[in-house]
Amino acid sequence: MRVSFEWLCDLAGVHDLAPDQVAEALTLAGFSVEEVRPVDLSGILVGRVLEQQPHPSSRTPLWIHRVDLGDHTRTIVAGASNATPGSLVPVALPGTRVPGGTLVRDGKIAGVPAQGMLCAEDELLISDDHSAIMLLDEGHPGQRLEELLPSDAWLEVEVTPNRPDCLGHLGLARELAAALGRELDRPFMPPFTGGVEPPGTDLVTVEIEAVDLCRRYIGAPISGVRVGPSPRWLRRRLYAAGVRPINNVVDVTNYVALEYGQPLHAFDLARIAGRTIVVRRARPGETLRCLDGETRRLSPDMLVIADAERAVAIAGVIGGEESGVTERTTDVLLEAANFDGVGVRAVSRTLRLRTEASSRFEKGLSPELALAGARRAAALLAQVAGGRVHVNWVDAYPRPQEPVRVRLRPEQVDALLGVHVPLQEMEDILRRLAFQVRVGEDGYWDVLPPVFRLDVRLPADVVEEVGRIYGYDRVPPTLPGGRRTSWLPAAPSRDRRLDPLRHALAGAGYTEVVTPAMVSAALLERLGLADRVMRVINPISDEQDAMRTALLPSLLQVAVLNRNRGRASVAVFEVARAYLALPGPPRQPEEPLRLGVLRTGLSGPEEGRAAFLELKGALERALDAIGPVQVDYERAHAVGYHPGRCARVRVCGRPLGVVGELHPETMACFDLGGRAVALEIDLEPVLAMDLRRRARPLPRFPAVERDLAVVVDEAVEAAALEATIRSAGGALLESARAYDEYRGAQVPGGRKSVTFTMVFRSPERTLTDAEVNALVERIRSALAGEHGAAFRA
Amino acid sequence: MSGIEEIERRARAIAERALEAIAAADDEEALGRLRVEFLGSKSELMRIPKAFAGLAAEERPAAGRAFNRARSAIEEALARRAEELRRARLADLGASEAIDVTFPGRPPQVGRLHVLTRIQREVETVMERMGYHVEDGPEVETDWYNFEALNLPRGHAARDMQDTFFFNETEDLLLRTHTSPMQIRSMERLRRPPIFVIVPGRTYRRDATDASHLAQFMQVEALAVDEGLTVGDLKGTILYFAQSLWGAERRIRIRPSFFPYTEPSFEFDLSCGVCGGVGCRACGGDGWLEVGGCGMVHPNVLRNGGIDPDRYTGFAWGFGIERIAMLRHDVDDLRLFYENDLRFLEQL
Repeated sequence: MRVSFEWLCDLAGVHDLAPDQVAEALTLAGFSVEEVRPVDLSGILVGRVLEQQPHPSSRTPLWIHRVDLGDHTRTIVAGASNATPGSLVPVALPGTRVPGGTLVRDGKIAGVPAQGMLCAEDELLISDDHSAIMLLDEGHPGQRLEELLPSDAWLEVEVTPNRPDCLGHLGLARELAAALGRELDRPFMPPFTGGVEPPGTDLVTVEIEAVDLCRRYIGAPISGVRVGPSPRWLRRRLYAAGVRPINNVVDVTNYVALEYGQPLHAFDLARIAGRTIVVRRARPGETLRCLDGETRRLSPDMLVIADAERAVAIAGVIGGEESGVTERTTDVLLEAANFDGVGVRAVSRTLRLRTEASSRFEKGLSPELALAGARRAAALLAQVAGGRVHVNWVDAYPRPQEPVRVRLRPEQVDALLGVHVPLQEMEDILRRLAFQVRVGEDGYWDVLPPVFRLDVRLPADVVEEVGRIYGYDRVPPTLPGGRRTSWLPAAPSRDRRLDPLRHALAGAGYTEVVTPAMVSAALLERLGLADRVMRVINPISDEQDAMRTALLPSLLQVAVLNRNRGRASVAVFEVARAYLALPGPPRQPEEPLRLGVLRTGLSGPEEGRAAFLELKGALERALDAIGPVQVDYERAHAVGYHPGRCARVRVCGRPLGVVGELHPETMACFDLGGRAVALEIDLEPVLAMDLRRRARPLPRFPAVERDLAVVVDEAVEAAALEATIRSAGGALLESARAYDEYRGAQVPGGRKSVTFTMVFRSPERTLTDAEVNALVERIRSALAGEHGAAFRA
Repeated sequence: MSGIEEIERRARAIAERALEAIAAADDEEALGRLRVEFLGSKSELMRIPKAFAGLAAEERPAAGRAFNRARSAIEEALARRAEELRRARLADLGASEAIDVTFPGRPPQVGRLHVLTRIQREVETVMERMGYHVEDGPEVETDWYNFEALNLPRGHAARDMQDTFFFNETEDLLLRTHTSPMQIRSMERLRRPPIFVIVPGRTYRRDATDASHLAQFMQVEALAVDEGLTVGDLKGTILYFAQSLWGAERRIRIRPSFFPYTEPSFEFDLSCGVCGGVGCRACGGDGWLEVGGCGMVHPNVLRNGGIDPDRYTGFAWGFGIERIAMLRHDVDDLRLFYENDLRFLEQL
């Protein structure tokens, strides 16, 4: 909320503090001041426009003004055309820095001398409006603007949603005073009630049909109003709070809303059919032309204010145009009502229309505030618009607000804050905040919050009030030090258990990435990964409208981004969740942790094959880093992968994912050149495995190592050869691993040579050459028999 | 060739020649050649014993002695010269094998862990030292855990503070907007205070993305529930945390604020590391950097987690991991963390 420093300090009775000091006091009391902007108007003069002509040669439309500044005239160029001859305008002369920040320079614009600037409202920090020159409705040429609009400062204050009572200057003034140890000398409820006959109840009737959505409706008739401009003090404060004056009646409703936080509305009583107000739900098909000029279609879940015939306002959101106050209005019906916050919020969301009124009502205002607002506004209308305020307003208030009483022991304050607050200080703080305290003989206090504080119901709420005014900087920091009688044993988190895997991959040259979990559903579909996808029904963009079912698309997007920025090859990995919908009615999905790895920028089939083998090796190292697991592979087909270069990864016999080169179509889908290898596996089953490492006795006898070059048909795979070798080698074969593949001069066409290293060892003795030779011979004949193998020397 | 004198003369002559050549040898390779030349199986010296057959039996010992004298003289000379050459070579090593030690090193190709992972781990480590326990839980949450149980009923204006992604029209399945649902889940799982947990994880808000807002980001949340916990304990815990992460000279402050799930509620700020709290451009002039939100757990929240609010109190605090990383590494745009431009990641 934008707050005028002058207004706030006037209400709080504070005259000795600078804006920054006030800002700090408010911030520490819980009203965060986001910005302090001094509005220094001392250099701005009032000018009268004598002539206005279009610029003869400029390509963008510009207007040349002759401006009377009292003792001289100047030529000033402006882009807006609304400063017609006779207008009074704010003028900044060269050398002046206007509050908005622009330094005015002497110069020429498109060949015409520009001897100053005509200011728009945004340049004077009066509003955000930059569309037109600000037009003044008083003043004389050469006068200092400050005489009309004194310099002030405004504070942008963040009022938390639990404190709608502070969406007005008065509420904040009470907080400021309390924080400074002072008390507001102004009662919450103004005494004014009007005095003209006949009574208001004879002039209008009010009926609340929808009592669930409207808790109170006050209609105060005020007759004989003279609509015209507001006095200067009132206009100045509206400007200072960022509201443009319209006419005295509307200005008063806005002024009181800014002061008390109670939204008000003024109807032209002559336009209220039947002089009857009905607060009801809208009828099907009903429409209303609103004050902003738009006609809105209403629905029966919306609350409206209606007269005898039709809707005249959308309750708590916006008024209707036809029933609004105009220059011809003489009798006004002042509305001060209380509408249900949840209801107003829903209507405002449906209509996509958030107004000053709706943003206050939706936080849940006290119905007691309506009467205070009505009294204040009626008094002001009598004062500034000459209105005659009738006695006995209509006040439909079927269920008056229940008083709240919070019982607590003052020790509870100390116990929750962790500091001793003296009883007298506690009581003073509460009184300054308009709470009443009754000290009981049983050691309990009965604390009665003021009627406008609906947020205080529990002892903890009272503690908060005391704490924030007492000052949390006075609470000494301590560490919880109770003697704990139970505890949880320390255990690494699942994520931390995966750190060795991350470090192993990083050591192998892969960089960890963290990518968004929301991706494009269309992309998942194109890649054939949309099977169990969870879709968001209200996405911000179609780039992020579904939860990812796989990590690979995100990794490919990382490759694309880096390619676009000049890095053609990346080696990246991510450990993150996939989100897999479960069948049946919508419910929480599975969120398994996955590992995804991608390496791009490979050229040619040979490099692809080498990278594939390296990736497998890196995976084995990475898995081994978290536990002694067995990894093996079998040929597989997987969506997105190369049909001849893809394997299923099995960890301790469980299929957990795939590794392979990516399909050219996948690469094309991301507009990536070259080749890439990738893998994606589920980590959940691995984390559930027994990952303890166990020491085995060291071998006591030497090993014998033999190489064997096996020539077989292309189709025979290393895993099959290894299986044969292992079963033929028996217990004395300690390990066997293929390490080279050869095609060429010494191998017939259609065949390949695969070289294995085999290690033989006995736990009981040193093997002799003859024994090993016999074993190798057995292996050779098994390979020849099962795979048609021949052997190279 | 015959006669003992002849044999003795020849052995002496060979030894003399050998010693001369050995003394002249100037590297170890040459010494190796001389060893073959003078002591090898085909050397002149080794042919001498073949002549012993022609000697009388009583002459043979003398001949053997002459042979052995020559051989050991040569062997000693070889060893001596080898040692001399070795010493000379080592003495000269600094010059003979010098390399340009200022030539740039050749680092192995390695990757690294993402900065957010590392910061998260650092945060966890600090908290684990204080006896907190890491919990994790679902990101796709129910309305109950994300809002209702946290004292945020439907239609509550405070829900607007956390614009939400939904999966169904009834809006009861959603992406968690904070890690706070884990407050309830942790209380349910652990049941009996003391409960000291920390919850890092991904969270989601329906915000337009810019340099300081992301629709997807990471939070860490700490929750403590025990008998007699106070606002002072909350302050002390955050101070310990802040000083562990940023240095012992740092201070914190808490400012009253509002969250439906805590009462009282606060924002917590860290004293600016550039100006030390005096106010400078880095902190926007007021000496403090906003870090996160905190408060004493609302009695309704404790009750919804199955904890008796008359017996126990609790405090909770949370912040964005990205925010910590930004403060630590001078990053001014949140989006960089999720874009994964490797040039960025490799800097941190």
